[in-house]
Amino acid sequence: MTGGETETATPTLSVQGIEKKFGELQVLRGVSLDAHDGNVISMIGASGSGKSTFLRCINLLEIPDAGRLFLAGEEILLKPGRGGKMAPADRKQVDRIRARLGMVFQSFNLWSHMTILENIIEAPVHVLGQSKEEARATAYDLLAKVGIDDKADAYPASLSGGQQQRVAIARALAMTPDVLLFDEPTSALDPELVGEVLKVIRSLADEGRTMIIVTHEMKFARDVSDRVLFLHEGSIEEQGTPAEVFDTPQSPRCRQFLARG
Amino acid sequence: MKFTLMWESLPTLLSGAVLTVQLVALALVIGFGLAVVIALARLGSNPLISGAARFYIFVFRGTPLLLQIFLIYYGLAQFEWVRESIFWLVLKEAYWAAIIALALNTAAYTAELMRGGISGVPKGQVEAALACGMGRITRYRRIILPTAFRQILPAYGNEIILMVKASSLASTITLMEITGIAERIIARTFSPLEVFAVAGAIYLAINFAVTLGVEGLERRYNKGLRLASAAR
Repeated sequence: MTGGETETATPTLSVQGIEKKFGELQVLRGVSLDAHDGNVISMIGASGSGKSTFLRCINLLEIPDAGRLFLAGEEILLKPGRGGKMAPADRKQVDRIRARLGMVFQSFNLWSHMTILENIIEAPVHVLGQSKEEARATAYDLLAKVGIDDKADAYPASLSGGQQQRVAIARALAMTPDVLLFDEPTSALDPELVGEVLKVIRSLADEGRTMIIVTHEMKFARDVSDRVLFLHEGSIEEQGTPAEVFDTPQSPRCRQFLARG
Repeated sequence: MKFTLMWESLPTLLSGAVLTVQLVALALVIGFGLAVVIALARLGSNPLISGAARFYIFVFRGTPLLLQIFLIYYGLAQFEWVRESIFWLVLKEAYWAAIIALALNTAAYTAELMRGGISGVPKGQVEAALACGMGRITRYRRIILPTAFRQILPAYGNEIILMVKASSLASTITLMEITGIAERIIARTFSPLEVFAVAGAIYLAINFAVTLGVEGLERRYNKGLRLASAAR
């Protein structure tokens, strides 16, 4: 760590030097990222470049082997655990931090035994301790916002993929998170359903929410982001404004990747 | 066929059905609680604890229930320290000995069902619970166990039916449930065919009710899961 902090405001999310190995495979080789309030950061790159793993390290669904994580200046403490792997030093802290990081998964992951409404109020009631009435009122507002207010009592499996993903976004928003993490939110969708989900995410960007989006939708990343990161084999190969990365990429690999896309 | 005898024995046998239902219901409640604990122990990462759970399942699934009932009711009485302990207040009663034996037995089978159910909870749904900050207990109570139980419900209905039938073994330790009463009437009337036929009809009626009950539960609670498997 170098000295020169406090020249700018504390980033909402700061990730420093994340490394991760799966067996012998080095998936992340020291990836860092700072997100300030209201930033929308897109991560692009080929499959296997490590972008999803990086996102999953942020809320510790994967535990990084090395690196540091800060949410609004609070460091998430890791300690060496069994077999030389890192482990959370304080599970309670991890749960608390996760509650402030909303995650939207590629495959929605709605709870199948609960209705749409129950899915949305579950964590506000059982993690944040909100009353059911309060959580329900918020849930109806969020459902209206993502355009599914008529399906509150349906079960996830009776919805289309696009609808399920919009519910998943509402579920994440119900926790009023500091940062939203999107893990390829449209990759599991039929092409005709991609638009409705991107529209919702775009509206969240317009509201000034802090978001990190792993995506294969290049046009969308370009339109919606403040900053774009191109990952290659576990390292950031190129980063900058959308114009810089998409129009004048410096790295040959990034150029190649964009040409293919 | 002595139809009058059948008709006359019906009320007495039905009075035994109350005990049968009691034995089964209490054993199922105790057994299910135990089964969840054993299943979690079996799935846990501690090799000693999961080994103990495996051994428990191995022993109680691998030996006859009749033997387990005898061991608990007659066998434990041989130990003086058992007779002197407070457990004796419970164990000396045939009623409780039967319930304990049935509960321990169903716990072994149900633990294996639950283990399958818990392992079958989609990984993504568990991650979603983790991602919104649920601690371990909330995760199990709200997401994992409810989903697991819904998945095993049809198989668990089977287990309940087996338990209703297995409870007839309680007659061997003097309990006057349906089978016990049937044997007593037969000793008096020498009409095994008629009396056992009526007893059998009562077991059928109980299990018919169980089947309807489980189907009702499935309809009510498994809507989401049923849709999910239909969509796949």
